Amino acid sequence: MLQSRFLTPMRLLERAIAPSLRSSQSLTRSSTITPSSILPRPISATPSPLSSRLLLPLSQVRHASHASQGAGNRHSRDPAGKRLGAKRSGGEYVVPGCIIFRQRGTKWFPGENCALGRDHTIYATEAGYVRYYLDPELHPDRKFIGVCFEKEGKLPTPRNAPSRRKLNRVAVPRIEIADESPARSDLTAHVGADGVVVASVDAATAAQGGPQLRPGYMYREANWQIGRAAEKAGITAKPYNSKNRWLAWRKRQARADRAAQMKSLKNKKKTKKGKGGR
Amino acid sequence: MAHCERASKPLLQCLQKASTRGLPALQLSSTRAFQTSARVQEEAQSEAQKQPFNKSPDPALVSSPRLERRLIRQGISPVGSRRRRAALQGSANIPFAQLPYQCFQEARKVLLQDREEKLEEITRLREKIARLEARPTEEAGGEQVKKSRLGGMQKHLEHLKVLADINDPQVKKKFEDGQGDMSKPIYRYLADQKWREYRRKILVQRITQMKVVPDVLPHCDPIVDTKLYFNRSAVQPGDFVQANASTTAPKLDIQLFEGGEKLVTIAVVDPDVPNLETDSFDFRTHYLAVNVPISAISTKVDLAQLSADSQVVLPWEAPVTQKGSPYHRLSLFILEQKDSQPLDFAAVKAKESVRDNQLLRTLQGRYHLKAIGAHLFRSQWDETTLEVMEKIGFPLADVELRRKKIDPLPYKRRNPSTFR
Repeated sequence: MLQSRFLTPMRLLERAIAPSLRSSQSLTRSSTITPSSILPRPISATPSPLSSRLLLPLSQVRHASHASQGAGNRHSRDPAGKRLGAKRSGGEYVVPGCIIFRQRGTKWFPGENCALGRDHTIYATEAGYVRYYLDPELHPDRKFIGVCFEKEGKLPTPRNAPSRRKLNRVAVPRIEIADESPARSDLTAHVGADGVVVASVDAATAAQGGPQLRPGYMYREANWQIGRAAEKAGITAKPYNSKNRWLAWRKRQARADRAAQMKSLKNKKKTKKGKGGR
Repeated sequence: MAHCERASKPLLQCLQKASTRGLPALQLSSTRAFQTSARVQEEAQSEAQKQPFNKSPDPALVSSPRLERRLIRQGISPVGSRRRRAALQGSANIPFAQLPYQCFQEARKVLLQDREEKLEEITRLREKIARLEARPTEEAGGEQVKKSRLGGMQKHLEHLKVLADINDPQVKKKFEDGQGDMSKPIYRYLADQKWREYRRKILVQRITQMKVVPDVLPHCDPIVDTKLYFNRSAVQPGDFVQANASTTAPKLDIQLFEGGEKLVTIAVVDPDVPNLETDSFDFRTHYLAVNVPISAISTKVDLAQLSADSQVVLPWEAPVTQKGSPYHRLSLFILEQKDSQPLDFAAVKAKESVRDNQLLRTLQGRYHLKAIGAHLFRSQWDETTLEVMEKIGFPLADVELRRKKIDPLPYKRRNPSTFR
């Protein structure tokens, strides 16, 4: 890397001197000259500009090996443009959600009535006119994009002035939201006079939910019945006690052991595969 | 043995060793172990009719959480940390002056000497101030010079008063136990430092981030600690308060950190009243009282209890938020009246009778007020708002606000002739 960098000027130098060399020496020899061979040569070897300019058109030979150098990954080095930059210029009218500036990182910061998107895109949160401005009182070296309500308005507003806002609402008669129909589940809750009453599904629904042909062409019980199988069988889990660190430690250890086991299995598979490939 | 008791065991061991060697007079009392049983026996011999500890726990000694809870329920808060209380149970509670540590006593001597020096300096400065005050104005170099010199000296005197006591371990202990006397400059100073360390930062952050400071007043540098209570529950700056909780006027706890009494104006302003005609927001004054005396020792102000014919200009109005409206910021400001002079109540009442669009900035300019404290709570539509609206006769109870639809920008051709 370092050597090649060092050699680039040398190559240029060589290109410049090559014609003169050719004029003095045989053509076959000049084509085989390498940068290393040129290194010890003194700079005084540069020819007079007149002779080199005369001979230049004759010497423009680009061999295949030279031309194709670096072409293989040229496009990866120079990717497609990402269409960044200003989408709305200063003074243009924008509505909420209108993208004003696309950028990588925060070249510009959102000012008044603007917000920053997930990819640092600046967009308007109010309808108004775009302003690009500096606000040294807020930050000495940040550039801001803001939206101003008036066409001739100025940003930034003074620090002590009350902020200018818009309501952006309309008055409509208030509608009471009616109680929605209770969600279907195996446990039903009713809000009664004495608080919330939780009960299981009534017998009729339960009877209906026996083994049936269900989606996926399976003859089985409903999901909620399967979910309550443990309850039916009388299996109880210990209530979780956050102070039981001994149990927590055992569980953590078991999980770690299992993870280690899985990892070792994974590695084994890999090695086996490799061996099989050979 | 409780956790805290185990933790303070090394301290006790240290104490035992030192006392056996250094101070034979105190040996008996200080070599007791943490077992409280021995002590109980001793005391039982001396006074038989004393109540057992768990019946009437001492707030300075209680260390079990159960007894602590019982005390708190009675309204007595335990003193200091639990660890310290546990350590005190077994210790003889020897005063600092008699503690058997040589290095400690030497250090105390240095501190005491420093205090003596400071006291001397205070007396000297007081004499100097008296001399300057006695001198005629012409001799002192003009009124302005005399005034500024006196002001500087007074400031230095206050500073010296604080310096004289700031290294006293007893003062520190008292302050940390919450037994500091706020009429003394040292405790006021310590309380101020503590407030500035955390609570003031939070308050300033809330009032600036929620834009109360440029919206209601251009500037506010709080110097008094303000606590706000609705129905005996404290409200943190910026909290949402339910509509039914804020129907009655709040109680305030205004802690002044300066000596003397101040007359203040208290105003509660809502800068977020929706105005559909102008498509913006209006102000509304929910409360205004003038000539409220506050001082470092009398801190409690009940906005509902202030006198209606000498203090309250606009009585409390319950804040309600229409459904769909952005939240309302109810900002409370404590404004110092100029030179602590009372305002003419009748004149103020005659002039400030309108609640709507009464700007606090205008009041501040009109009566030469200076904001010294602030608080903030928010209100939004909740399940109790409707009944409060009916109770106070809010006119727009059956109206809801909806977001206005903004027309999109006209379609722009993607491939105009300029691109080709």
